[in-house]
Amino acid sequence: MPELTDIANEFIRGEIEEFIERPEERDRLIGLFVAAKPDQQDIAAALVDGDDDVVDRLTQAALGGGTPALEVMDDGLIAGMAIVGVKFRENFIYVPEVLACARAMKAGMAHIEPILSASGIEPYGTVVMGTVKGDLHDIGKNLCIMMLRGSGFEVIDLGVDTSADDFIDAVEEHKPSVLGMSALLTTTMPNMGKTIDAFIDADLRDVVKIMVGGAPVTQEFADDMGADGYGKDAMACVALAKELIGVTARG
Amino acid sequence: MAEPIDPAAYQQRLDRIGEIFDSMMTTVADLTGRRCPYKNRFDRCTAQFGCRNQRKPEDPSQLKVCGGDDKLDYRSAWETT
Repeated sequence: MPELTDIANEFIRGEIEEFIERPEERDRLIGLFVAAKPDQQDIAAALVDGDDDVVDRLTQAALGGGTPALEVMDDGLIAGMAIVGVKFRENFIYVPEVLACARAMKAGMAHIEPILSASGIEPYGTVVMGTVKGDLHDIGKNLCIMMLRGSGFEVIDLGVDTSADDFIDAVEEHKPSVLGMSALLTTTMPNMGKTIDAFIDADLRDVVKIMVGGAPVTQEFADDMGADGYGKDAMACVALAKELIGVTARG
Repeated sequence: MAEPIDPAAYQQRLDRIGEIFDSMMTTVADLTGRRCPYKNRFDRCTAQFGCRNQRKPEDPSQLKVCGGDDKLDYRSAWETT
């Protein structure tokens, strides 16, 4: 039976010791990390620490050294994210830390994407995401982006306070399948409709599916403004994006 | 040249990531009712907008301190202009 002390990486040992309390989760993670190579443990540690620069560097080095991409995903990126998930569930960390870890995961996945592409595996589609003009609230959008990337979409993040022109420019540049707009304020919510109108005026409404979301947004509001879909949360956002582009499972 | 990735094997990894993230979203739904999502584990504010609960940190290079008590709906403190 593998023991915690068999794990080479001190940071990972400390994380499991301090934060993983359920015996079955402890045993599973100990078994996983004991079997993982030290360089994969280092990737997982950097991810748990939310250090995207280190994950970037270590993932590149591991793949360059001949470690298979799926091993990097299993023993580095996903193993690290499993610890993050438990820490979040148990309220040891909160949304900002989770988002930092998700950025670190993205940094690692960026090196795996060319291998996926060379293997004939492309993203389900590209999604352009932004919070509408006048609105600086980005947590909901960022959680949607995390979920979309984790589901196999490529996401272009336009950030907050995004004008209709910026959305249009991004659609023309990246040719996404889906455009997602977020708003938290009732005062900025109408800018979703104005952006859709701008797409109609630019004769671009038919080139992209538009989904909307955010605390004050409702299905009725989405329908009234002419959006193609409304997602009430980040999980619904992924389901909606898949539905809008007709995703079917791989394999 | 890196070893090619089997699509079905890759999908299994996406499914595992999906399980972890779905569980996280359940926690998000639970947490947002009782703690501002912009507040990090050190009770510092990560928002890019002003909030009446923000307090000046001792070290100006640090994030602002969150002075909210999470007992009321924190969203009314967010500044909208």
